[in-house]
Amino acid sequence: MTTQERIERSYEPGAYAAQARGWIETNLTDALRTDRATQEASLAEKIAFEAAQHEAGLVGITWPVEYGGHGLGLREHLEANREIGLSPMPNAVNSIGKELAGPIIMTVGRDDQKRDLLPKILKMENIWCQGFSEPGAGSDLVALRTRAEKTADGWKVNGQKIWTSGASKSQYCLLLARTGSADDRHKGLMLFAVPMESPGIDVREIVSIDGARSFCEVFFNNVMVAEENMLGAPDEGWAAASRVLSIERATNRMYRSWRFESEIDHLVAACRSDNRTYQILKGYSAEIAQARIAVENLKGHVETMVADLLNGQQIGPRGSLPKLYWSEAHQRWAQMAYEVTTRFPLDGGQALTDARARFETIYLASRAETIYAGTTEIQLDIISKRILNLKKAA
Amino acid sequence: MDFDLDPKEFEDTARAVMEACAEAAPPARARLLAEAGLIGVAAPETIGGLGLPLDFAVPVVAAAGEGLLGFPLMEAMLVARALAEFDAAEAEAVITGETTVTIAWQGVAEDGVVGAAPMGETVDRVVIFRADGSAVLARIGATIAPRRGATLDIETPEARFVLTGQLDGIELSVDAVETLCSDAMVLRSAFVRGSAEKCLALAVEYAQDRSQFGKPLSANQVIRHRLSRDKLATETMRNALARALTEVPGGDVHLAREACWLATARAGIAVAESAIQVFGGMGFTWEVPLHRHLRQMRTQAQAGGVAEKTEALGQRLIGASTNAWYGEIANVV
Ligand SMILES: Cc1cc2nc3c(=O)[nH]c(=O)nc-3n(C[C@H](O)[C@H](O)[C@H](O)COP(=O)(O)OP(=O)(O)OC[C@H]3O[C@@H](n4cnc5c(N)ncnc54)[C@H](O)[C@@H]3O)c2cc1C
Repeated sequence: MTTQERIERSYEPGAYAAQARGWIETNLTDALRTDRATQEASLAEKIAFEAAQHEAGLVGITWPVEYGGHGLGLREHLEANREIGLSPMPNAVNSIGKELAGPIIMTVGRDDQKRDLLPKILKMENIWCQGFSEPGAGSDLVALRTRAEKTADGWKVNGQKIWTSGASKSQYCLLLARTGSADDRHKGLMLFAVPMESPGIDVREIVSIDGARSFCEVFFNNVMVAEENMLGAPDEGWAAASRVLSIERATNRMYRSWRFESEIDHLVAACRSDNRTYQILKGYSAEIAQARIAVENLKGHVETMVADLLNGQQIGPRGSLPKLYWSEAHQRWAQMAYEVTTRFPLDGGQALTDARARFETIYLASRAETIYAGTTEIQLDIISKRILNLKKAA
Repeated sequence: MDFDLDPKEFEDTARAVMEACAEAAPPARARLLAEAGLIGVAAPETIGGLGLPLDFAVPVVAAAGEGLLGFPLMEAMLVARALAEFDAAEAEAVITGETTVTIAWQGVAEDGVVGAAPMGETVDRVVIFRADGSAVLARIGATIAPRRGATLDIETPEARFVLTGQLDGIELSVDAVETLCSDAMVLRSAFVRGSAEKCLALAVEYAQDRSQFGKPLSANQVIRHRLSRDKLATETMRNALARALTEVPGGDVHLAREACWLATARAGIAVAESAIQVFGGMGFTWEVPLHRHLRQMRTQAQAGGVAEKTEALGQRLIGASTNAWYGEIANVV
C-alpha cells in the first residue's frame, strides 16, 4: 500500500464493502473456500481467482491507475478487506508481490520499473518471493552474506537464502544482497528484482510442520543480474525496505482481524450443526468471548493505523504493536479452536469434518505467526528500544 | 458534527484540576471540578454543560484515574447526562457541584440492598437500579442508609445501601439507564487507562533509575520485554477506546464498547501488578502509589461487572450464528 497523496474522491461509507461482498459471493467457489477443507483448488485456479479479484477491485485498491491499480484510498481498502476477511477466501498466493515488493518498487523504483513490474503483480503474471533471510541471518538480518559483485556484464550474485516463502512458484525474487563485506553490516546492502528463471538459481522446497511445501532454500550460484534490475541506489533500497516493512507490519493482510472473526463464526456454526458438539462448545464460552474481544482490539489497532496513515502520520516502530498483538491472540485462539475440534464425535457429518481439517491447519500454521515478519522477541525489543526508549546503561 | 475543540486539549486542564483536588478536602473537590467545567463536559448546554460528545469526557476521566481523584466523577458525569431530560434543575445542581451523586453499581432495589457505590457515605444522592431496567435517583437518608462496604479502593471507598422504605426520587427510564450503562463502559475504560498508563510510566522511570549488578534494571531484556508488553496493553486500551467512540461501516459500537471495557479492565490490573513487580520491595510499600492504582482498578473491574459481562458475551456468541457464510451449517441447535 502506498501513502502517497491522491485526489480525495467521493467516499460513501459501506458502498465499497457491499460491492466487494457481492463479488465474493458470486465468485468464491466451493473448491476455493477454505472452510471446505476436503476440496482444494489447484494453484492455477487460485492464481486465476486472484487475478479476477484485482479486476473486480478487491486488490491493488490504493495503487495508482498508471501502475495498474484502482487509485482509491485506504478507506476503500479497509472496507474491501473487511469483506475478504469475513468470507472463507483463501490467503493470497502473491501477497509478497502485493504487500512487499510492490510497495518497495513504488517507493524506490524507476518509472520504467514501476510501469513494467507493478501491473504484472496485480495481473498475477509475476508472483514474487522475498529473499532476505539466510541460514546465518534471521533476526539479525544485516548479518546476511549473499554477495552481489559488480562486473562488466552486470551483478554477479552468490549465496544462499532460506525460508523463502513461495520461491518454487515465483517468477521474481526481491533479493537483499550485499555489495561489500559482511562486516559492513547496514552499509552496502542492495535490493534487486531477480527473475527466478535466471541461470544459476536452485530452489529446494522445505516441508513445514503443517505438511505444506511453501518455504524454500534458494541457492545463487554465479547468477547474473542486469544493472537495470537494481531497486533503488545502493543503501537506499535497504533504507526504503525498512520503512516499507514497518508500514507492512502494521497494515499487511489488513483483513486479518475479520478473518479471525470469521474463524470464530465458523467454529460456532460448525458446533451448532450437531447437538453433541454444541454441548462441548458451551464449556468454552469464556474462551470464545476472549477470542472475540481480541478480534475487536485488533480492529482497534488496524483502524487506528489507517486513521494515522490517512492523517499523514508515520507508523515507524508502532507497527510492532499490532504484529505482536495479532500473532499471540491468534495463536491462543487457534489452540483452543483445534482443541474443540479434536473432541468432535466420529460420525458428526461433513460440517464437522471440514471444521476439524481447517482448524488443524490453522493451529499448525499459526505457530509461524510469532516467528515470521520479526519474531515476538524482536518486536518486544523494538518496542522497548524505539517506543519506550528504555536505556541500557546508566 | 464538527467541533473546533480537540479532546486532547482537555487533558492538561483536567490534570491540573486533579492535582488541585489531591490537595483539597473531599467536599471542596466537587467545586474545583465544577468550576473547571469538568463534570458537565459531555452534558447538554441546556443544563449548564458544555454540550460536547463523550469523546471529551474521556481525557477528563483518564486524568481522574491517573491522579487518584477522590471523587465519583464518572458517576456525576453519567448522572448529569441521564438527568437532563427528566429533571433539568437537579442535573444542573450535579454539574455545579451543589448536589453530589453516586451510583450503586451492584444489585437492584428489589434485593433490599444495593452496593458498589463509590463514596456512598459522603454524597447526597444515589442512583439505584431496578429489576425492570429503570432506575431512581434517591436522596440518601433514613430509609436509604449507607453502610461502609468491604472496599478495596481507598480513593472513593465503596458503600452499600440498606433499603428499608419506599424508594422515592427522580425516575430514570429504561432507555436512559441503558445509555448510562453503555457510556459507563467507555468512561470506566478511560479511567482504567489513565490509571494503567500512570503505573507504566512509574515503572518505566523506576526501571531506568534503579541499578543492580552495575546497570539499570532496564538493561535486562526480561524487564524491557515486560514493560513492552505493558505498553502494548495500554496502547490496545487507547485504540479500543477510540473504536468504542466511532461508528464505522459494518461496525457494532455496542460490541466495541463491551470489548473495550472487558479487555481494558483485565489488562489494567495486570499492568499495575507488573509495575509492582518491577519496583521490587518498594512496590510492596504503602507509600508507593501503585497499590492505590491496583485497588481502584480492581474495584472498577468488579463494579463494571467484568466477570458477568464476559460470561454473557460468550453465551451470546455461541447462542447464534450470524455470519452468512456459515449460515447453512448452523441449523441444528
Ligand atoms: C512460515 C515462515 C515463512 C517465512 N518466509 C520468509 C520469506 O518469505 N522470506 C524471508 O526472507 N524470510 C522468511 N521467513 C524467515 C523469518 O523472517 C525468520 O525465521 C525470522 O526472522 C527469524 O529468524 P530465524 O529463523 O533465523 O531465527 P533466529 O533469529 O535464530 O531466532 C531464534 C529464536 O531466538 C530468538 N532471538 C533471536 N535474537 C534474539 C534477541 N536479540 N533477543 C532475544 N531473543 C532473540 C528469536 O526470537 C527466536 O525465538 C519465514 C519464516 C517462517 C517461519
